[in-house]
Amino acid sequence: MKIFWILVQYEWRHFRAAKGLVVLTGLVLLVGLYGIYYGTTELARQRQHLAELPALARHNVEELKTKFPEPADAGEIGYYHTTFAVHHPLPWAGLSLGQRDVNPYYVKLRLLGLQGQLYAAENVNPTKMLSGNFDLAFVLVYLFPLLIIALCFNLLSSEREQGILPLLLAQPVSAGVVVGAKLTFRVGLVLGLAWLLSAVAMGWARVPLDGRVGLWLALVTVYCLFWFGVAFIVTAWQRPSAFNAVALVGVWLLLLVLVPGLLNVYVAAKRPVPQGIELTVKQREQIHGGWDKPKAETMNRFFALYPQWRDTATIKERFVWRWYYAFQHLGDQSVQPLAAAYSTGLRQRYELVETLNWLSPAINVQTSLNALAGSDLPTHLAFQQSVVRYHDALRAYYYPFLFNKTPFAHADYAREPTHTFTSTSETPTAVQGLWKLLLSTGVVGTVGLLLFRARPIQPR
Amino acid sequence: MTYLLEAKDLRKQYADKLALRGLNLQIEAGEVFCLLGQNGAGKSTTINLFLGFIEPTAGAAYLNGLEVAANSLKIKQYLAYIPENVMLYPHLTGLENLALFSSLAGFSYKESELLAYLDQAGLPAEAVRRRVGTYSKGMRQKVGIAIAVAKHAKVLLLDEPTSGLDPKASNEFSELLRQLSQQGTAVFMATHDIFRAKEVGTRVGIMREGELVDVRPTAALNANELEQLYLTYMQ
Repeated sequence: MKIFWILVQYEWRHFRAAKGLVVLTGLVLLVGLYGIYYGTTELARQRQHLAELPALARHNVEELKTKFPEPADAGEIGYYHTTFAVHHPLPWAGLSLGQRDVNPYYVKLRLLGLQGQLYAAENVNPTKMLSGNFDLAFVLVYLFPLLIIALCFNLLSSEREQGILPLLLAQPVSAGVVVGAKLTFRVGLVLGLAWLLSAVAMGWARVPLDGRVGLWLALVTVYCLFWFGVAFIVTAWQRPSAFNAVALVGVWLLLLVLVPGLLNVYVAAKRPVPQGIELTVKQREQIHGGWDKPKAETMNRFFALYPQWRDTATIKERFVWRWYYAFQHLGDQSVQPLAAAYSTGLRQRYELVETLNWLSPAINVQTSLNALAGSDLPTHLAFQQSVVRYHDALRAYYYPFLFNKTPFAHADYAREPTHTFTSTSETPTAVQGLWKLLLSTGVVGTVGLLLFRARPIQPR
Repeated sequence: MTYLLEAKDLRKQYADKLALRGLNLQIEAGEVFCLLGQNGAGKSTTINLFLGFIEPTAGAAYLNGLEVAANSLKIKQYLAYIPENVMLYPHLTGLENLALFSSLAGFSYKESELLAYLDQAGLPAEAVRRRVGTYSKGMRQKVGIAIAVAKHAKVLLLDEPTSGLDPKASNEFSELLRQLSQQGTAVFMATHDIFRAKEVGTRVGIMREGELVDVRPTAALNANELEQLYLTYMQ
């Protein structure tokens, strides 16, 4: 055991002497800090936007109060009144932004048809979207394996190629102890860096100190160990350093580029999802078609859904708001199957990826970190469901005004339903991901050990 | 009787070559056995078998009475090895390399003791704290000698150890070997250097195409006779 720690100490000296590795490690540290800055800054920007929304809503109400100083038709109010459904992030999202850049984190709502509003998002630079997020999760999932590769590609081959190995193995120390000490030092270095960055990010993002801290660290730790396992297999193969480097970069490309790309194509083909734009266009066509349909037909279809308003006065006027909102509502109804197919399709895709992510621990750990941070697809779908419920609540609030012809007074603004939604960590998904990761790591570790035992280390 | 180094019908077959053809050899404490032979004769294969770096195809190698293949780690407590070209960690100094390899062998020396070993091996004092990357082959060889001496091994395995040493250093090395053998160390040295073999060896063996074709006590031959004998076998 003493010899083991002597070797570990000397590994530190070897590492310090390898200036390129020191620079690379420092670079990964800086890039990790930038990732933390990027993630937390992006989240702060989103939070600032969300924090400004109540003021915008209040301003809108003040404008309406000025526009309608007396109690007014609720139809007018519903048309001009803007409210917001907001998706508050967890502090964890600063570490793993996940889909918070792709999916809208708030929805601007009026009493009109919902579906057209649900998929409206702010314009974002598509080139920026293409490059994705440079958050800590990205650094850990994509760049840490490269650091591990740089540290391990010549784990033992370096000594063999320099001719040091015969003298080293002529000492009463087994090749297993030498490799173990080298791996221990590198594991300590990489995990120390990963934990340091995680701790800085958690402190910066002010995440609550609960079990999720342990889960995050466990995911990061086991993921790094997986890559050390891959490096161990390559080391046990006992090929030259150049071969090892190519092999390890090949595995990196396979697991982080090729498999995710192929999986994306497979999932898209296996679980086709209707386009959101298709849904929006159909809904708009339905709504605009509503102007030309006989009012009685529209209202009868609406009353079939809301029989409680059947006894209200027959519409004889050219335009009344309750008719207008009725065909808006029917527009939503007409695309309901498409909307359901869209959201079900997205969930099915997600579930298929969940099923197949054992093919790439990188996808698995990214999915798990997003689930932990509440920035994954299921969280967004849950937010969308909450928006649907909120819009229903708005309708339920305004319809009595419309159908009972009750004027909408200033005091009624304050009684209007409000919306808030805060992400929750999908802990079971993250835990399941951790188990899969443990299994993957166990497999590569076992293969490495078997190979190491089957092929005694050749000093020359 | 337990020999410090023993080969019993030791054979090594590579895929396309029989490198060692049933070697039988016993070396006692205090003996310096020099193995002469051309490149590819099987000298390094023999050393690698005693080191446990390769496994024999048949037969067995014993070191201090222990079968090497079955005790590949334990036997390394009893042996020291100097390869033809000693390679060390280039970013460490000679002193640091000696400290590292000595501690791996289980010795925890004070700096003054380490300096004494390097001095004994003939490394100039000005070089001991310089990075090994700046050393000549001969200087690295001297650090290798210091590593071997500091290990206080019962058996010394040497593969062309004086390669790269200047005549003076080679002479000092020969003297060192004599001292070690007088202290009871068994030395097995593979070499091309007939003169050195005659000078330090107690016995000399000639190996040809994996076979130990002759073994003589060096006392029974002078250098010229040994050379003639060697050339006869090499024809």
